[in-house]
Amino acid sequence: MARGNSLTLLDKGEIPERYRRNIGTIGIDGQKRLLEARVAVVGAGGLGGTIIELLARQGVGFLRIIDGDSFELVNLNRQLLATERTMGVNKAVSAAARVAEINSEVETDAVPAMFNEDNATELLSEMNVIVDALDTINCRLLLCRMAQKLKIPLVHAAIAGFTGQVGTILPTGPGLEKLYKTTSKGIETVLGNPAATPALAAAIQAQEVVKLLTGMGETLSHKLLYFDTELNIYELLNLG
Amino acid sequence: MRVEVRLYATLRRYALSVADGVLNVDVPEGSKASDVIASVGVNADEVHIVMVNGVSSPPDQALAEGDRLGLFPPVGGG
Repeated sequence: MARGNSLTLLDKGEIPERYRRNIGTIGIDGQKRLLEARVAVVGAGGLGGTIIELLARQGVGFLRIIDGDSFELVNLNRQLLATERTMGVNKAVSAAARVAEINSEVETDAVPAMFNEDNATELLSEMNVIVDALDTINCRLLLCRMAQKLKIPLVHAAIAGFTGQVGTILPTGPGLEKLYKTTSKGIETVLGNPAATPALAAAIQAQEVVKLLTGMGETLSHKLLYFDTELNIYELLNLG
Repeated sequence: MRVEVRLYATLRRYALSVADGVLNVDVPEGSKASDVIASVGVNADEVHIVMVNGVSSPPDQALAEGDRLGLFPPVGGG
């Protein structure tokens, strides 16, 4: 089903059944904005899998999904799209197939390649929002530089153990260099990535995307929401 | 002067005597964040984010009586 059908209904003030439970929160205009939006999700692992699932259900019209990795056994504990059936399948391709099962109105562009400096501009241009669902710090810093250069909002998250952080980087604000010294990996190399932590961070990221696209509420721009569920810590930090 | 030092995630291992990673330390007037990091025995290389009273700050930020210093290691997983 083409998303044009839902947009036609929404234009007439009618509510497509699949979005009925969205409308009380974001309204008809909000749903239209989501359906007309283009979002790039960079990484389709622990964070990305949940983000893609939620944005497809919410009705974001176009998702570009970028990941050069394939699913492995070690992903099964936390990555929503990793199943015994998808072992060895490229993550971006697998994610696009999942979106087609959930919401065939959503157009996807699966890019089975690693994000890098050479493909960054081509993959990110003309996006309304970019989502950082990567798992290395160097790649995140590159993604942030490119998003700011292209003047596109970036929704960042990272996790390790019971801990996670989420923030929105705007073109003119502070970037991820505020959060990281130059290094490739963080404390996840020690603490690992348990099942619930990426889902928690990814849900907040998906909500950030909805707020950015609809103009509703307050985003986490210039801020970092840091959580540590081991000690029930949820802190909103100011990146200056 | 007295400042509160709050250690997050893996940095809490530097303060095993307190379960929540919160230390109240006496430091000389004019101490910088980096001085306090050294005084509590935290390896500065592991500190990627320094927050003073909830605001991102450079390590050479001068502290005042009662300031809250938050120290965060890098979180990079996805």
